[in-house]
Amino acid sequence: MSAFTRLSALLPSAQDRVHMRAGFIDFIPALIATVVWGFVTGVAMVKSGLSGLEATLMTLFVYAGSAQLTALPLIESHAPLWLIFTAGFIVNIRFIIFGAALQPFFRHLSWKKRLGLGYITSDMVFVLFMSKYGDSKERGSREHLWYYLGIILPGWLSWQIASLSGIVLSAYVPPSWSLEFAAILALLALLIPLVNNRAMWACLVTASVIAWVGQALPLRLGLVAAVLGGVLAGVAAEQLQRHRDAR
Amino acid sequence: MSDWQYDWYVLGAIALLVLCSLLTRSGYFMFGDLLPLTERMRRALRFAPVAALAAIIIPELLPWAYGDTPRLDIKALASLVAVLVFIRTRNAVWVIVAGMVSFWLIRAVMP
Repeated sequence: MSAFTRLSALLPSAQDRVHMRAGFIDFIPALIATVVWGFVTGVAMVKSGLSGLEATLMTLFVYAGSAQLTALPLIESHAPLWLIFTAGFIVNIRFIIFGAALQPFFRHLSWKKRLGLGYITSDMVFVLFMSKYGDSKERGSREHLWYYLGIILPGWLSWQIASLSGIVLSAYVPPSWSLEFAAILALLALLIPLVNNRAMWACLVTASVIAWVGQALPLRLGLVAAVLGGVLAGVAAEQLQRHRDAR
Repeated sequence: MSDWQYDWYVLGAIALLVLCSLLTRSGYFMFGDLLPLTERMRRALRFAPVAALAAIIIPELLPWAYGDTPRLDIKALASLVAVLVFIRTRNAVWVIVAGMVSFWLIRAVMP
């Protein structure tokens, strides 16, 4: 294959651009939330004591708002690194579930492309993509790929611009505004819609109680205990519910 | 911790978080054909984000330590307002706005 045909195979055709635009249009409502969230995360990183360079590295390469916001209070309280890794991993676990659902659409691509597509995935792309193509029989068409790109590329770009602006402008945000509280509120906004049935409520209440009591434990082990307790409570509540439904 | 030690600590934390992102986001895209996730595991994992977020948020909103007299933190009150606003609007941006504004108001009013 000549270099030219190889290059033209990478460029989007007119049809590809139609699918990409469809993805972008579906993403627009989520754009404002992405920008506000990115800005808050940018400010919060600097306010938690990260240097401009460290915050920039974090934004560009971690690219996971909730994991970043989760890690900040831990970094500030000098928690051990293994705990920061564990907490970040747990908050990111949802991406494993998203990945398992999305992977059949992209399994035919080269490993480099799959690495890239997975790395800049987001919550929004999962919600939008699966509600559009979740039931489709066909898996892995060009339409899927370009629709996906139409969401993740503007998502990545708007997040990065907002987050870098937050890092630069954080110096002009006085400490008395307590803007780091906005980061906690952003996590709260992420949490509430997830709690949509009884089993999730059981998980939430159990994890909250253990987390509150467990503050006295060293190494923020209360966090680990709360996650384990919450998951077990959720699974138990779900089984109980199914048992009751079966009768 | 001295300054340079702290810088290395932060860089180490960032490197580990990059690893988190890679493993959780690209892991399935890369090795999905080799790692079938059982239905039981999948169902249990659905609860992990809720538990983890609650475990991070609660100590920030309701901190306590031995010997402290119990008190209601302004942040807890402001969060309550934010939750109510979310239930009405279902909008993440309004949660942040309402929470911040009520935080500033309560702080200004309270002695």
